[in-house]
Amino acid sequence: MRKSHPVRRAVLATAATVSGIVLLLSLKPASDPGSAEAAGGAPPAAESVQGGARPVGDGTVTGDAAQTQYGAVQVRITVSGGKITKAEAVQAPKGGQSDQITSNAVPRLNQAVVRAQGADIDAVSGATYTSNGYKESLQSAIDKARASAPADTGNGAGGGDDAAQAQTVTGDVAQTQYGPVQVRITVSGGKITKAEAVQAPKGGQSDQITSNAVPKLNQAAVQAGTADIDAVSGATYTSEGYKESLQSALDKAGG
Amino acid sequence: MTTTLAGGRAARRQTMRRIRPRRSPAVPLLLAVGAGAAAVLWLWWTSTPSIADTTGKIIAAGRITGLLAGYLMALVVLQMARVPALERRVGSDRVARWHAMSGRYTVSLVVAHVFLIMWGYARQAGKTLSGIVSQTLTSIDTLPDMGKAAVGTGLLFVIAFLSIGPVRRRMPYDGWYHVHLLTYAAVFLTFWHQITTGNEFAVTPSAKTFWYGLYGAVTVLVLWYRIFTPIRLNLRHRMRVQAVIEETPGVVSVLISGHRLHRMGAEAGQFFRWRFLAPGMRFSSHPYSLSAAPRPDMLRITVKAIGDHSSRLRELEPGTRVWAEGPYGALTAQRRSRGKVLLVAGGVGITPMRALFETLPGASGDITLLYRANSTQDLALWGELAKIADERGARLMYAVNSPDGERPDISAESLRRKIPDVDRHDVFMCGPPGFAQQVYAALRDAGVPARRIHHESFEM
Repeated sequence: MRKSHPVRRAVLATAATVSGIVLLLSLKPASDPGSAEAAGGAPPAAESVQGGARPVGDGTVTGDAAQTQYGAVQVRITVSGGKITKAEAVQAPKGGQSDQITSNAVPRLNQAVVRAQGADIDAVSGATYTSNGYKESLQSAIDKARASAPADTGNGAGGGDDAAQAQTVTGDVAQTQYGPVQVRITVSGGKITKAEAVQAPKGGQSDQITSNAVPKLNQAAVQAGTADIDAVSGATYTSEGYKESLQSALDKAGG
Repeated sequence: MTTTLAGGRAARRQTMRRIRPRRSPAVPLLLAVGAGAAAVLWLWWTSTPSIADTTGKIIAAGRITGLLAGYLMALVVLQMARVPALERRVGSDRVARWHAMSGRYTVSLVVAHVFLIMWGYARQAGKTLSGIVSQTLTSIDTLPDMGKAAVGTGLLFVIAFLSIGPVRRRMPYDGWYHVHLLTYAAVFLTFWHQITTGNEFAVTPSAKTFWYGLYGAVTVLVLWYRIFTPIRLNLRHRMRVQAVIEETPGVVSVLISGHRLHRMGAEAGQFFRWRFLAPGMRFSSHPYSLSAAPRPDMLRITVKAIGDHSSRLRELEPGTRVWAEGPYGALTAQRRSRGKVLLVAGGVGITPMRALFETLPGASGDITLLYRANSTQDLALWGELAKIADERGARLMYAVNSPDGERPDISAESLRRKIPDVDRHDVFMCGPPGFAQQVYAALRDAGVPARRIHHESFEM
């Protein structure tokens, strides 16, 4: 039967909660200290992309995925004649609020890269995280392009080697009910030598379905050499999206 | 029923077991709750690599409050799941106070969560604080499960508003109670957006498993102890009103018959929540203490006509079916820590004390009952108390107002004068809040340690 002090208790609870939260927030570093992998859940695309970065000089190079608080950002640049002719985000924060921000910021960043010809671009206001992640991934793409530049010098003269002929083409993003699907293929000698999904549904049930279906679809695409592949059972939507993006990649490669 | 200490080893062991106080599991439980909260904060910590600007901070604060609210929400429901460990060992009254306290805190966290998240999103979208309403509508429209969450949160706010002291007192208890049950719906509706939009659950899939486990376990406990257990109890014991007896003006005893009632595990000092299946009473369930030790064929409650429900009890027809849930309450012999016991009853608070007076083990002179009432006419059950006192050599005292209405003096001095070794007693107490407060203060002044004063108070 100790006396209860409801007002005092409420004040104490509020003060404790607020100061606890403020403490937690202030202990978090302001910028991500290069811990791209630290956040875990790095998208599976990040790994395979490096393999696809072989055709350099003129061609496309995909940077490493940069983790931001709102999701991964990954940039691909197209280099032609030593200049960046195109920049695009193959991954950017999605879901909720992020859709809006991404659709606003990414096109501007893409434009800025082509204009600046480097990673020295301004962040888009209201999209600081995305901008920073974008710049980080962009820098890694530029680094990769530079690193393989020596190999590129012989390209114009000798030509005709496999690496030069191999062409990497990324299909359009196909929207499915569970998220976007985007396929990249490597075409060599008129055949698909490799197919991979740079984007696939993530989160919840989707992780499982994606990790099961995508490898099968990749194989099927290489085997068939066309977009006429069977859907993976239990992953109908992902399969449909995959085929759609694959077809668009094939169209681009052919044209 | 007196206990002989010469009854061999078994009897001695039994007595000893009863006299050794069982520790309330309150402290370990609170530690476990704290550890869970720390785990939830850790989940946020590991899922957040960095925070750059003010918007990020606002959203992070919104996520922390949201995670804590989601965690506590499960516990707030758990506290009312009538889990025996809570009801009988921590005590129903204490758990009910925890429930009210943590409920208020959780609703405050929900308010903070909604405000912070929507403010943060509004800033991300380049809106100012005033854009928070339109941002909220956009988010409800576009994010998964947010429609459900919005309905659930609205419901939660209505329930919280109706539970504010002055509002609640203006509502009939039954109406309030049935609205309060909608909390289950609110919790169900708000659960899904936590899983589908929660950043931490997307980044850390094992957290999702933990969350499902937490809510799943609470659901199972609620179904088991609030639905299945009472159904089984009532199917087994089939209770009916046997008779209604007027003890003193305004105080009635209800005798309840049934099958093998001793198998219900009820102890003196405990209560059941009673629902009498008579017209107009069917939909309300009220807690009343047993006023006598349970017998295999009979239970008795004694009730003072204060409210609507209790006044109707005297009109109960014999044979009326009774639906009971229980036994609940921790004011039992298990709380006792030493030989001597003082029981203090105020008014109708005599009911659990009467049952304990009869059944607490103790030698002659170990047990004392102090009974406070307005007048000698209001000393309900006095006849049987006197008989018990006589049979077991216990002391029985009463304190009533003097003829001119003056209240009796209950102070440390008067207690010590009547019971010189009062500081060496365990004290069990039941009575109206003001009375209990006064006696508590007097006992503490008289040197009784707080841990040996056992009382039950259903004041929030």
